[in-house]
Amino acid sequence: MTLFHERWRVRVSLLAAGVLEAHEEAAVRAHLQACDACRADFERSRRALDVLARDPARTADAPVSVEFLKTRVLARLDEVVVARPFRWGFAGVGLAAAALVVAIVPPLVQRMHTPGTATAVIVEQPLVPEDVMARMERRLARDSAARYLDEAQDLLVTVSAHPADCEKEHGRVDVGEEARRSRELLERRALMVDLGGDEVSSAQPLLDDVEGLLREVAALPACVHADSLEAIHKQMERRNVLMKIDLMTRELRG
Amino acid sequence: MQRLARGDREALGPLMERHHRRLFRIALSYLRDVDEAMDAVQETFVKAYQAASRWDPVSEVAPWLSRIAVNHAIDCYRRRQRRRRTEEPMPDHPIDHDGRWRVGDPSPESEVSGREVGHRIAAALQTLPERQRAIFVLRHYDERSLPEIADALGMSLGTVKSSLHRAIARLRTRLGSAQA
Repeated sequence: MTLFHERWRVRVSLLAAGVLEAHEEAAVRAHLQACDACRADFERSRRALDVLARDPARTADAPVSVEFLKTRVLARLDEVVVARPFRWGFAGVGLAAAALVVAIVPPLVQRMHTPGTATAVIVEQPLVPEDVMARMERRLARDSAARYLDEAQDLLVTVSAHPADCEKEHGRVDVGEEARRSRELLERRALMVDLGGDEVSSAQPLLDDVEGLLREVAALPACVHADSLEAIHKQMERRNVLMKIDLMTRELRG
Repeated sequence: MQRLARGDREALGPLMERHHRRLFRIALSYLRDVDEAMDAVQETFVKAYQAASRWDPVSEVAPWLSRIAVNHAIDCYRRRQRRRRTEEPMPDHPIDHDGRWRVGDPSPESEVSGREVGHRIAAALQTLPERQRAIFVLRHYDERSLPEIADALGMSLGTVKSSLHRAIARLRTRLGSAQA
């Protein structure tokens, strides 16, 4: 699939969702006549959207009357109004309490860690069983990695499929926002993905591929020739990055 | 809105009368929980009242309220996820959603079938990342235009288009069996 064709697939989805302008719609409908894969995508999208159109939430009624809702809203507004304003006296009490904690806690902690005392035994007992804690941490690590991959996927799809035309330079596309988001995502990666952890070890090769692509996007100037994106798109294609992200996020979320 | 901006609480009545059902449907579509959806509607009007003085008279009220509602729904969903992680560390399967919303006065058969469709759709929507889900909900349930969605969520139009495409692609995979 070429970059050019990936753009068609985006437009086919947008046609199914009914959000294309008239002139774009005519072009996509003409393309559908010639492209079997796009026509199949269009039919599948239409069927999915038909199922979604039957969602009871689309016609659901609020379970309370508007009068009741108004009463609740006014009560909430009153709560906000009577909420106590900031008082310096309370701040003083808070500071005094904080000073007390600073004075008392360190010696207490020292005592707790003195070997051979009964207190030390009590403190060492975990509040949450170790296995539950381990499962929570595992879950959290996998969720974070999946979220990172989701965000990277959104960004890579935008770069490869549908960048907007650059307003400043004719004939180029605008990837300024995507470059900025790539840099932001790379900075956040360390927080979102525990790279040393076993929990996401199976995702490591994919995370490396994604990082490489994000670095390339991050290095792009705001306005580039569409051809410059072709190399990024080919890399994604060669390594099946989007499909792997789909599979990996599913696996990570269980 | 001008009355609201002047602090006239009575102006909330007509605003709520006109928009509360629509906002409830947006919140319910996103959160799939009636109680949380009602809280979202309530907080939307509270925030609208508080922010009314900053409202730009040239912009329309409906997309402005939709933006508040969907952003509140996203926050609410994040809080719920955090709560579930601490209270229920390892669910082995997605949390089941009960179809507690009311659709007119359905027959038992249509109620069961509607609930079943609702469950399938809830499970499919749950697989979408937050932003994709917000974009899809604003388009499919609130019929907002793509520029309105971009404005509401602070995204570029290109990102909204590609995210909507990804959302539809995921949903058609997830709902494939539901169509059979």
